Amino acid sequence: MATTEMQLMLSVALIEKDVNGDTLWVWCYPSVDSDLRTVLLSKCCLTQDSSRDFHTFVFGQFCRTWYYITTVEVQEPTALNKVTHFSIVVTAKDFNPEKYAALSRILCRMYVKHGSPVKMMEAYITVLTKGICQSDENGSFLIKDYDVRKAYLAGSVKDVVSQFGMETIILYTALMLKKRIVVHHPRIEALLEFTRVLPALTWHRKDWSILHPYEHLTDIELEDLKKCPGYIAGFVDPEVSNRSDLFDVFVNLPDGVITVSQSAKEAMAMGKLHKDVGQLIVQSAEDTERSDSQVIKDISIKTKEILANLVALANECEDSKITLEALKQHHFPPATENFLFHLAAAEQLLRI
Amino acid sequence: MEEVDKILIHALKQVGTDVSEEIDSVKQFSSELIVEAVVRCIRVIDPSLGSALATSLPPGMSARFRVGMSLAQACQDIGYKGEIGYQTFLYSSEPEIRALLMCLVEKLPRETTEASDQPTGKSVALQRAIATAIKAQLAVPWLPINCRLPLYSETQSPGALHSFHVQPLRLPHCTKGPGKKQLKGRPHTTHTAYMLCSFDLEIKDYQQDVLLPVTAQTFHHASVVASILEQHTAELSAAQEWDNEWNSQGLLSRLTPQEYRSRKLTRLQKRIVEQLRSNALPSPESAPGGPRSTSELRELLQAFRGSAPSDHILTKGTHFTHIKKFTFTQVKENTPSPLGISQEGDIQQEELASFKLQFQQLCSDVNQLTVLDELKQRVLGNSEKEEKMQVKKKTINLLPDPDNNMLKLQALVEASVKRVVSLATQWEKHRAPLINEHRRLKEICSNQDLESSRKLSEIKYLHDKIRVSTEEARKKEEIYKQLVIELENLPQDVSRSAYTQRILEIVSNIKKQKEEITKILSDTKDLQKEINNLTGKLDRTFAVTDELVFKDAKKDESVRKAYKYLAALHENCNQLIQTIEDTGTILREIRDLEEQIETENGNKTVANLERILDDYKAIRQENSVLAAKVREG
Repeated sequence: MATTEMQLMLSVALIEKDVNGDTLWVWCYPSVDSDLRTVLLSKCCLTQDSSRDFHTFVFGQFCRTWYYITTVEVQEPTALNKVTHFSIVVTAKDFNPEKYAALSRILCRMYVKHGSPVKMMEAYITVLTKGICQSDENGSFLIKDYDVRKAYLAGSVKDVVSQFGMETIILYTALMLKKRIVVHHPRIEALLEFTRVLPALTWHRKDWSILHPYEHLTDIELEDLKKCPGYIAGFVDPEVSNRSDLFDVFVNLPDGVITVSQSAKEAMAMGKLHKDVGQLIVQSAEDTERSDSQVIKDISIKTKEILANLVALANECEDSKITLEALKQHHFPPATENFLFHLAAAEQLLRI
Repeated sequence: MEEVDKILIHALKQVGTDVSEEIDSVKQFSSELIVEAVVRCIRVIDPSLGSALATSLPPGMSARFRVGMSLAQACQDIGYKGEIGYQTFLYSSEPEIRALLMCLVEKLPRETTEASDQPTGKSVALQRAIATAIKAQLAVPWLPINCRLPLYSETQSPGALHSFHVQPLRLPHCTKGPGKKQLKGRPHTTHTAYMLCSFDLEIKDYQQDVLLPVTAQTFHHASVVASILEQHTAELSAAQEWDNEWNSQGLLSRLTPQEYRSRKLTRLQKRIVEQLRSNALPSPESAPGGPRSTSELRELLQAFRGSAPSDHILTKGTHFTHIKKFTFTQVKENTPSPLGISQEGDIQQEELASFKLQFQQLCSDVNQLTVLDELKQRVLGNSEKEEKMQVKKKTINLLPDPDNNMLKLQALVEASVKRVVSLATQWEKHRAPLINEHRRLKEICSNQDLESSRKLSEIKYLHDKIRVSTEEARKKEEIYKQLVIELENLPQDVSRSAYTQRILEIVSNIKKQKEEITKILSDTKDLQKEINNLTGKLDRTFAVTDELVFKDAKKDESVRKAYKYLAALHENCNQLIQTIEDTGTILREIRDLEEQIETENGNKTVANLERILDDYKAIRQENSVLAAKVREG
């Protein structure tokens, strides 16, 4: 596995907060460019107010690079003097929070024990080259223990459905049509937990690169966000609700309210088809005997049905691309027609 | 005694008693004068008591008797402890009168201490003068123009009124040449120095030759005062505000005054630019242009005054405003301007054509976008595949000799790992001390910050102290000046220093006398002791001699005679001593009696008795007259 996979891990870095109250980027291997460095420093909870909570583990995406930040408070006795807290940042190309959280924990412990990043780097390189690393606890850390599918399925769809009920269909529609979803929650942990499960609603794509779970309203991050046509972005800042240029669907997580912005209302019009799908989702999730992965499977089966329909429609037309006229000939109800039209556009089956 | 009388007379004159100049001792006070003095004193001490009393003695005897009794009662009410009755006033004796007057004068309230209220400085005196002048002017009755005296024509005509018109004035000390500051600051070439010097000279020339004096700078002569007041107030308030701001925020920012000012200037400019920019954007409600600009200006100015949140109110909207905007545009669309039907048709055709064009444009845009999107995704996929391909290529190249190559690869990997780790250790050796140094310096810096903030607070404290002390010094100076003036204005008739001198002299005299008395007392004591000693010795000697001689007297005749002589001698000496003692006693009695005679003589008892008898006779007559009157009517 480690030999056939590409190198997924990109770098490891160290941020320390010392007794003077300064937060410094003290060490990294091999290198991190300055934009990413600025973003990582802003995401690390050590640079934010000390009144905010201390976040042990946060992750996010920037410029198609996933970063995982583990923060630890230094307890006496230790080899590190003048350091009160430190964070280890691991950047990688893949989305796998559990794997990198476990790895970061090992690296943190090594750093605290030895007080020097060299030992930590050795462990990191061992993982990089051999895919395995000895840990202080009994046993060792193996990369192959952490399959990416497990990461995809780690979130709970049932929680989402239980919070939003029938409105989950809005999220489903938005994801299918590759729209921009913005989620807000003041607590980052809740935000991460909620947003990581949303791409599972479109399981046929298995595309977690649309997920940007931890964003701030800074120019550099928003520019990066705007490069993606459709995304799921999580913000802790409540001001994001005023930025209607950033979203088509806005989810206010603590209040449990989903709003569709004016510009997207037309595209997101829902009809009978959506009602069916919504009911299916709700039923499947409410069934206590079905697990999360089974719910996702049910949803993906339904999605495949719809897509198969669409492909069939497309095959009827020339060069297997649907046109609007062709769609109109089938006299679907207007909402369904609208949905199929936009879905075709998202799945690149449309020709104008 | 003379001084006491002088003081009494002076006090009585101050109270208002009419004491003529010849009278300079209490002995010469007549009954009328005594009564007047006492009544006036009582009036001052206790107005309620004094109002019932008259200052002069009535002619009738019984009336005088009654007045005397009431006066005596009043004096006792006030608190005079001595024996007092009608006789004190009608048949006065010097010591009694002196004692009474001294008591009353002591009880007079001290006016001087109460009169000194708040120290009146020069400004208050000026204000008082202005107030009295205005009061006097207001008190003058208004007369029509024809009847007016030329004296009042100025103050009573409206021509004296001028509106408060202010004009900016140019004073020489304000225009501090900018050249001066620049000369101090940076190094410069001689050319620029020459330029700056000439600039300075020009200003000086202007100030000397061209600039008019302040009184000539205003259009209207009456606005000179207003303009000067305005300028001074503006300068004063600006200086005070700057002082306050500097002492509170400026010192904390630890910048020099110039830096602080420049920073403040840039900050304000930035804020103004932001505000103008945010307000230059078109507002959502497109109301007609004219009234919009004024209301916006008002809002703009309001926003300047307000704090930051008001900016947000202007720039960012809420859901509500967005919805409003949306509904607005809907309403707009629903109310097209009414036109003729044919014109409508034409316009609709035009609109249709433009819409078609737009639609075609949008279609092509969408096409373009989708194509671009596809392209991007494909490019990404391509790069990933390329990477994979590179790895696979290299692997394939190594395939022919798999085991060896694997070993080689592993060895290579291990070697590079070792190299990287060694590099990391080397780097760590450099990095760790640098980070520690950085942290140490930061700590020193923060300590210094603490120190400097402590010193700043000390400076502030000292500033406050200085301010308070200058205030106090100024106040004390004012008080001193005012007291000096008061001292000069005080009446010079009574010289307190003479009195204080006499008092001090008397005190020293008394001290000396006391010393002498104690000396005499001790001498007397010594003498008495000696006398006692001698008397004792004498007795003992006599007893011994008596015994001795008596023993022999029984046998011998001459010794018996001697014994008789001894006894007689002793007795005679005793008598002598007794006589001397009696003489001394009698002398003392004589002295006492002489003193008593003197005091009695001062009482002028005889004259008083005669007067009493006369008065008694007068009263009896009055009684009989009254009785007769009663019997008749």
